Amino acid sequence: MTPATITTAVGILVGAWLVALVVLRGRRRWLRATYAACGLAFLVMGVGFVGIEEGFLDPAREDIVLGTMLLAYALTAILVVGLIHGETLPRGRAAGFLLLAPIPFLAYLAPSEGWTMQTAYEGNLLGGYLVLCLGLALAETVYARLTSRLYAAQSFWLSLGVVALIVGGPIYTYELQALALPITAGANFATPLALAAFALVTLQADPVPASTRLARSRWSGPSALRGGEPIVFEETRPKYAVRAATMEAARGRPTMVIARTSPPLTTSGLVTGTILPNRHAALRLLTTASEFLADHPGGLVVLTGFADVVAMSGRLRTFEAAIRLKHVCKDTRSTAVFSTSRLSDSERRSLKDLRLTWWSLPDPAREIEAILSQSFGSGAPHLLEAFCRAHGLRHEDVSTDHVPAVIAFLQRTVAELTGAVEGGAGHGLKVQVEAASSVLRAFADQDASEASRGRWPSRRPAEADRELLVTAAEYWKGKEMEELFAAADAVGDREPLYEKARAVFVEELGDAGEGVLRTQIARLGKKPEDLEKGDIVRIADRASVDLATLADVVDLPKEKDRLQRQVDEIRLRLERIVREDA
Amino acid sequence: MASRLVTAAMRSVVLFLISVILVLGFWYHAEFYQIGLTNLAIVGGLVTFLVIAAARLAISGELPKGRPVGELTFTLDEGDRILRSIATLVVRPAEGASLPGVGQVVRAKYETGPEFGRLQIVDARRSYLSDLSEQDAREAGFRSALELRDAAAGRWTWRPTDVVTVLRIRRLGAGR
Repeated sequence: MTPATITTAVGILVGAWLVALVVLRGRRRWLRATYAACGLAFLVMGVGFVGIEEGFLDPAREDIVLGTMLLAYALTAILVVGLIHGETLPRGRAAGFLLLAPIPFLAYLAPSEGWTMQTAYEGNLLGGYLVLCLGLALAETVYARLTSRLYAAQSFWLSLGVVALIVGGPIYTYELQALALPITAGANFATPLALAAFALVTLQADPVPASTRLARSRWSGPSALRGGEPIVFEETRPKYAVRAATMEAARGRPTMVIARTSPPLTTSGLVTGTILPNRHAALRLLTTASEFLADHPGGLVVLTGFADVVAMSGRLRTFEAAIRLKHVCKDTRSTAVFSTSRLSDSERRSLKDLRLTWWSLPDPAREIEAILSQSFGSGAPHLLEAFCRAHGLRHEDVSTDHVPAVIAFLQRTVAELTGAVEGGAGHGLKVQVEAASSVLRAFADQDASEASRGRWPSRRPAEADRELLVTAAEYWKGKEMEELFAAADAVGDREPLYEKARAVFVEELGDAGEGVLRTQIARLGKKPEDLEKGDIVRIADRASVDLATLADVVDLPKEKDRLQRQVDEIRLRLERIVREDA
Repeated sequence: MASRLVTAAMRSVVLFLISVILVLGFWYHAEFYQIGLTNLAIVGGLVTFLVIAAARLAISGELPKGRPVGELTFTLDEGDRILRSIATLVVRPAEGASLPGVGQVVRAKYETGPEFGRLQIVDARRSYLSDLSEQDAREAGFRSALELRDAAAGRWTWRPTDVVTVLRIRRLGAGR
């Protein structure tokens, strides 16, 4: 064997390993297939060279090697374009595949024109085609390097791979020709290096794993979020973004939530993706979203972890990913939702400069308080505070999902109070609660689109409230509202501990939460109505241990992480209930 | 100062070696191709340009790994906690200063100026100040979230609604 054939044979082995790696580890179907096709073409080319050189392949079969050479370089260009514009393949960049069209024509002409492996890079139609393929790939990487922050690192590695192929192919052949040495036609010694560079970029930009896999389908139907554009949800916490995802998934729309941590509860039909700490987080965010939308045109992607990606990859890269995602949305008639939660003011302003559809949304906690204020005046903050205490919630965690619980709390509180007051006052209070409940329900029923119109309870003119307050005060026949709602506060505190604990378990673990709590209570040998503060502490400890053990058993890191966070949250909220109760 | 001189000297040596290789390459090819001075100047100039551009690209892009791209400043106490590996989290306001991203290496400096180490950012996330947990505070080297907020109050105007960036760091070694 000659040094050239040994080098090529080693390159074949390395190339085969790289192809296997990408096929097994890659998550983008089209790129995986393109990489495999490109890699295999180079491998066949190498095997052909070794076979002819070592004499176990008929030299007459050189035409096959020439054909795979054409295929390999054309696929290199397509692969490079795909790695840079992967989010629009194959839909937007299908024209790239036209590069393969001349191959049958050139292969047909090769025998009659006398094109061989040795003369492949000469100034003829065949050589021109090969140079065009490599030139296209190089131009694309250089352009990406100059214009894109998002692909800066990737374009470096792609440039390295393409330049290596140029040096190992045409330049090396010209060199041998100039030195009058035998031409090692059909082999490109830089193949392993180029395939390694392409594999690195393929894996760096791989989408994050999804929680579940939905069947590929196109979706169309009524939706609160119109398709074909990204929408920015300007909100302090991603409450409306998550709610929109849940509601759209319930309508049957393919929906994916991409967050920094997996959500505690997953709605049926909702796909979740967790962003891992990585310098290429912005790129992976883009590829994850675009891959999902390519598989589910008309779908929805909600990015609640947008600010975390900015922290990981930087503002410019993340915003470029947002702009690229805008084009994906347009191509696929899909929707992407970006939540501005935890972005700094300057980042928020920069995002606004991108001129994406912008929806300013209210903070549900503040609006619920405003609604309560309209009915109950200055006692409302105390009322909401009492509700939060009873449910182990922080004020800022209250969302529209808590509205039914707030209404139930109000009704229980007022039922207690009306026993202590007489006639018209009790009736009046019930009317007020009904009025507040009705407004609360109407507010909770609003989707993000309606809420973004700005008719928020907190923005209502004060005059209307004043009128209501006078009426309420009249019902109470001169008693001070403050005193009455201080009493309501105390009623809230008297809510059975079981109910408070149950609310925590159900909110964190779903319907199964109540069963978990009852098991813990049974293990204490108590009945739900007999629970005391000390029992809550013990339940918190035991539940932490039991659920943490369960989390340890789970072998999926993402699920393990999710369970652990649920355990921590349950413990935190139970401790808060005990602390507030003390 | 001495370390900077050593670094500059090493870089110059590498550059000199590249230049020598280029000159040898031109001589070798000029001998074989007999392409003449004008052609050699054009082709050689182009190759030199490409090599320098590639070197710049490599340095500004992916290579070499571990090159510091910025700095984080710490008080003496914070620096001490990092040096003793007590603190693995760094909390900084999201607004204002430009903070490093994941994977980047930064110089860790005392507020007074001296560099005391190099830190690699292994994770970054955003949080409201009010959302920082006791666990976060302990990992940042403080006894409680309250103590963390108090310690930083002298440097920044903290409000519970402020957004902060929480960086998880890995110490790479003593400063050079």
